[in-house]
Amino acid sequence: MSATADVPFEPAAPGVGRRRGVLRGVLGTPSGLLGAALTGTLVVVAVFAPALAPYDPFAIDGPVLHPPSVAHPLGTDALGRDLYSGVLYGTRTSLVVAGTVGVLVLLIGALVGAVSGYAGRWADDVLMRLTEAFQVLPRFFLAIVVIAFFGPGIDRLVLVLGFTSWPMLARVVRAEVLSLKQREFIAAAKAHGASNVRVVVREILPNALPAAIALLGLVLAQVILIEASLGFIGLGDPNAMSWGYLANEAQRFLRVAWWLPLFPGLAILLAVLGLNLLGDALTDILGGRR
Amino acid sequence: MARRSASARLTARPSRLIRRPAATAIAATLALLASACAEQAPSGEPAAEPVKGGTLVVAISEDPELLNPAVTTSGAAHTASELLYNGLVGLNAQGEPQPELAESWQVDDDGARYTFQLRDDVTWHDGEPFTSNDVKFAFEEVLLKYHSRTQASLGEALAAIETPDEHTVVFTFDQPYGSLLQQLDVTEAPIVAKHVYQGGDPLEHPANTKPIGTGPFTLERYQPDAEIRFAANENYFKEDLPYLDTVVMRVIPDDANQVVALESGEVQWLWGVPGPDLERLRADGRFEFLETGVNPGGTNCIMTVTFNLDRPIFTDVDTRRAIAHALDRQQYLDRVQFGQGKVAEAPISSGISFAHAENLDDMPVHDPARAEQLLDAAGWVREGDGTRVANGVDGVKDGTPLAFDFLHYPNFADYGELFRAQLRAIGAEVELRPLESTVFVEKVFTERDFDTNVISYCNGTDPEIGVKRMYLSSNIGPVPFSNAAGYRNPEVDRLFDEARTTIGDDERKAAYQRLQEAIVADLPYVWLVETTSTRVFPKRCGGFSHSGHFAEAAYCGTS
Amino acid sequence: MSWGYAVRRIAQLIPTVAAILLASFLLIHLAPGDPVLALAGEHGDAEYYEFMRDKFGLDQPLHEQLLTYAGNVLTADFGVSYVRGRPVLDVVLERLPATLLLTGAALLLSTVAGLLAGVFTATRRSRVPDLTVSGVLLTLYAAPVFWLGQLAILALALGAGWFPVQGMSTAGSDATGLANAADVAHHLALPAIVLASQEIAAVGRLTRVGLRDELDSDHVRMARAKGLAEATVVVKYGLRRALAPVVTVIGGRVGHLVAGAVIVEVVFGWPGLGRLLVTSTQSRDVPIVLGIFLLVAVTVVVANVITDLCYAWLDPRVRYR
Repeated sequence: MSATADVPFEPAAPGVGRRRGVLRGVLGTPSGLLGAALTGTLVVVAVFAPALAPYDPFAIDGPVLHPPSVAHPLGTDALGRDLYSGVLYGTRTSLVVAGTVGVLVLLIGALVGAVSGYAGRWADDVLMRLTEAFQVLPRFFLAIVVIAFFGPGIDRLVLVLGFTSWPMLARVVRAEVLSLKQREFIAAAKAHGASNVRVVVREILPNALPAAIALLGLVLAQVILIEASLGFIGLGDPNAMSWGYLANEAQRFLRVAWWLPLFPGLAILLAVLGLNLLGDALTDILGGRR
Repeated sequence: MARRSASARLTARPSRLIRRPAATAIAATLALLASACAEQAPSGEPAAEPVKGGTLVVAISEDPELLNPAVTTSGAAHTASELLYNGLVGLNAQGEPQPELAESWQVDDDGARYTFQLRDDVTWHDGEPFTSNDVKFAFEEVLLKYHSRTQASLGEALAAIETPDEHTVVFTFDQPYGSLLQQLDVTEAPIVAKHVYQGGDPLEHPANTKPIGTGPFTLERYQPDAEIRFAANENYFKEDLPYLDTVVMRVIPDDANQVVALESGEVQWLWGVPGPDLERLRADGRFEFLETGVNPGGTNCIMTVTFNLDRPIFTDVDTRRAIAHALDRQQYLDRVQFGQGKVAEAPISSGISFAHAENLDDMPVHDPARAEQLLDAAGWVREGDGTRVANGVDGVKDGTPLAFDFLHYPNFADYGELFRAQLRAIGAEVELRPLESTVFVEKVFTERDFDTNVISYCNGTDPEIGVKRMYLSSNIGPVPFSNAAGYRNPEVDRLFDEARTTIGDDERKAAYQRLQEAIVADLPYVWLVETTSTRVFPKRCGGFSHSGHFAEAAYCGTS
Repeated sequence: MSWGYAVRRIAQLIPTVAAILLASFLLIHLAPGDPVLALAGEHGDAEYYEFMRDKFGLDQPLHEQLLTYAGNVLTADFGVSYVRGRPVLDVVLERLPATLLLTGAALLLSTVAGLLAGVFTATRRSRVPDLTVSGVLLTLYAAPVFWLGQLAILALALGAGWFPVQGMSTAGSDATGLANAADVAHHLALPAIVLASQEIAAVGRLTRVGLRDELDSDHVRMARAKGLAEATVVVKYGLRRALAPVVTVIGGRVGHLVAGAVIVEVVFGWPGLGRLLVTSTQSRDVPIVLGIFLLVAVTVVVANVITDLCYAWLDPRVRYR
C-alpha cells in the first residue's frame, strides 16, 4: 500500500501471555475462522498442487474451449488446457511470491523498526524519513520499471516487492519497541548486564514481532494482487502458471468462454480475502492497530 | 492474431536477372477505372451496388504512431497510412501491376531500364502538383534510407533515377532487375512530397502526423491511441473515387472487443477475426468474409520455427529432425489458427504455385516415437519422464539438459505454448521468451542470442522476394527477417541461382523442387502452418480490396 | 494547523523526491549492459547514442551524472521515446487527459459512495443490511480490479447491454458538444465504477469504524439526549469528526487508484497512460516507462503531503510526528 496516510496507529500494550489465546481468539470469530480456513486451504493447495491437479497445467490434450464438465471441472481454454489444474498450480506461484516477499519484508521491517525504535535520536529520524519515502513509492509502477529493464521474471518481482513492502511493518515494530523499551523486564535484563543487541534480539523482538506478523497478512494480500495484476497486463513470467496469466488469457475469450475469466479471479479473491480476514483477526488480538 | 503476422517483413534481396520476362508487363496502358473495378469484389458477387457517401469505421489493433508509410515497414503504420498515399503502380489481387501514379511504363534492356510515364493530373492534398521530382526525392531521400524492405532490395541494385521531364521517371540498374514492378505499390514504395519533406529529418518530421499525400483520403484528425479520421480526397485523380465520405480508424486493442464492436454495428471492417468467434459470425448471416493471405505487411506467410544453427545442441540434423517429428502441426492449425490457413507442406508457400514443392518425402510428419528414437541415437538420454541430458553428443558437454529458449512475439504466445507442450512429451524443456517486435529483431538478427523462435515469414509473390532471404548464406544478420537460422549450404545458394535463371515452367518447378528437397534434408527451420486471415464486413458494404488501398473503392449502403 | 508543521511537511518532499530519483537512476545503472542502451534502447544508431550519452553526461563521473539526470528529470525532460521517435513528454501529455478523467471520476465516485456506505453500515449495527454491506465491501476490497472489470463487461455490457464494452466514445460518431459529452460519460461509467470499487470499500470501512467510535462518544450521547433527530446527530456530531481520517485515506490511496487505472484501461480499452505504459514496457521503451513512473511517483508524493495538510487542518490535534 502506498499510503502514508493510513490511520495513525497507537501501539497497543502487549499483553503478557496473550499468545496462548491467539488460536482460540482467531478461530472464535466468524471472520477469523473464515480467514484461517481460506489461508489454510491456500497453503495446502499450493503444497499439494501436483497431487491435486488432474492434469499438467500446460498440457494441451483436452477439447478446445470446453465449458466445465466432469472431466474438466472448470472447463478448458483455447488450447485445450485444463483450467482447474491451471488454477491449482497458480496457487503455487502466488504463494511462492507472497512467501518469499513475506520473509524479506519481515527481515527488513524488523531490522529497521527495531533499530529505529531502540536507538532513537538521529537514527530514528533518518530511518523514519526513509520509511516514509518507501511508503509512498508506487510499488506497482516500480515493478513495471524493473520489468522494462530486466524483462519479466519471478525473481526480480520478489526482490522489488520485498524491498518496497516493509514500511508498514517497520512502523509497527518501532511502535512496539518504543513501548517495550520502558518495561520493567527490559530494565531487568539491562541490569543483568545484557548487551543492547542481546536485549533487542532476545527480549524485545520476540514481543514486538507478533504485531508485525499480524500485519504481514494484509501486506501479502496486496502482494498477491500486484503479482496477479502484472500477470494480467502480460508482464508476468510466461513459464510459471499463475492466476494473472490465466486472467490475461481469458480477456481474449470473454465473449465465448465465461469460465475463463470467472475462476482465476475467484481464486485471487478468496486468497486475498482469506489473508485480509486472518490479518484483521490477528491484529485485533495481537495489537498493533493499523 | 493472423492479422499481426503482417509484422514479419519482406526483405527482398536484389535479383540480378530477369526471371520471368512474361510477368513484366511491357508498356501497359490500361483504362484506369476498368482496372480499379477489376480488382474489387474479390469474394464473389458484390454485396451491394456502389453508393456515394457514408462513413466506414475500421477497427485497428494499435496506434500507428506515425502516418508516413515511406519511413517504416511497421504493419500498424502501413494499415493506417496507405490510404493517404499512392505508389507508382498498384497491385491487383493476383499481384499484377496496375497503373496508378504512373499511367504507363516501358521496360528495356531485359529489365535493366524502366521508364515510367506519370499522370499529369495529380495534385498533393495541399494543392501542389505532383511531378517526377517528387518520385526521385521520395526514393533517394526517404525510401532508400528508411524503408527497410525497399532499402534492402533496391539499395544496392539501383544505379540511378533520372527525370528527363516533369512527368517521366527512369530507373536504371547495373544488371537486369526483374521484380521492380512488384515493389512499387503503396506498401513497398509510397511516394511522399518533396516540398513537404525537403530539408528535414524524415523520421521526426511534423508531417508524419500531419500527412500530405496524393491518396484517396486526406487526414482529418488524429487522436493518438483512440481514433484516426480520414475524409475523401475531393480531387483524387481516379474519377468517381473514393465512394466513401469518411473513413474512421478506431484503435481497439482487444480482438474480442473488435468483434463486439462489429456485432453492435459500431465498426464495419475487421482485418481479422479471432478464431473462436469466426463460427458464430458466419452463422450470424449479416456479414461478408474475405479470407486472404495478403496483409499490410506481407503475403503468403508461413509460421516458421527457427533453429539457431550456431548453437551446439542443434548442430546435429537428427536432433532438429527429432524436434520436427515431435510437432503436431495440425494442432497449430486447429487450436491456434482455428482453421484459418493450412498445414505447411513445403518450405515455399502453396500460394506461389509455380515454385511450391509437392510430395516432399523428407518433410517430417508428427511421429513422437520416431522423435524419441532419433534423440536416443543422437546421445540425448532420458531418465524416467524428465528432461533428456547429453551423453556423448558432439560438441555438447555431457550432462547438459536438452533445454532451450523459444522467442516469440507476445501475440504468438499460443504457438509457444503448443511448442513447449509438444516438446515436453519427448523430454525437451522449452523456456518461452515473449518479446515485442523491436526487441525480438534485435535479439534474433543482430545479437543472434536465441535457441529457437517462431517467425511469420511472408513468402511474397515470388521466392526471390520472401523465400531466398531465409536461406542464403550471404544473408545472415543483421537485417531484420533475413536468414534467422544462420543456415549455410553452398549447394542451396547455387540452387537458388539455378532456379531463378531456369526458363520454362516445368523446368523451373523442377529446379525449385530440388531446392526444397535440399532444404528439407537439412531442416534449418520447421514450417508449421500457412496462415490466412479473414476480413469481415457487413453485407451492406462492399468494394474492398485485400490490402493497401483497401477502402479506395469501398462503399456502404444503408440498411 | 501551525505553519511550522506545513513548512516541515512540505520540506519533507525533498528527501522523498530525491529518493525516487536515486532509485530510478540506480536502476538505469544496474540494468545489464551499457546505460546508454537502457536510456536510448537497443536499436538507435551511433549518432543517437552519442547524443544521449552527451545529454545524460554518461562519460562524466557518477555523481555528476546523477546531477545531470536529476536536472533533466526535474525540468520534465525525459528524453525521446525510441519506439515512437518523439519526446516522451509529448507522448505522455497526449494521453494524460483520458487518464485524469478516469481517475478523477473514480475518486469522486469512491468518496461519495464510500461515505454513504460507511454511514449506512455504522448506523445499522448488527443488522442484516449492515452485514450485507460490510460483506460486499470486504469482497470488493479483496477482488482484483481486472476481474471486476471482466465480470462487469460480461454482465452489464455484453449481457444487459447497458454500457459500451470498450473505448472512450462511440467509434466514428461525429457528435459534438453536449451529445459528445453524454457519449463519453456513457463510456466512462463502467470503467469508473470498477476503478472506484476498491476505494469505495476502503473509504466505506474506514468511515464505518470512525463513525462508530464517534457515535459512541459522550457528546453524541448528549446530543441524542437533547432529542435531536438521529440524522442530524449522525451528520453534525458524528460524521464531521469521523471525516478527518477518511480524508487522509482518500489522498493516501492515489497511488492505488493510478495503478488500478492502468489495469482498467487495459480491460476497457481506455486510451490513456496505462495502455501506453503497458505497451511501452513490452517493447522496452524505457524513456516512456521511466517518465510515467516519475510522473506517478511525484504525483503520489505530493498528494500525500496535501492530504496530510488537510488532515492537520481538519484535526488540529495532529502534531508533527
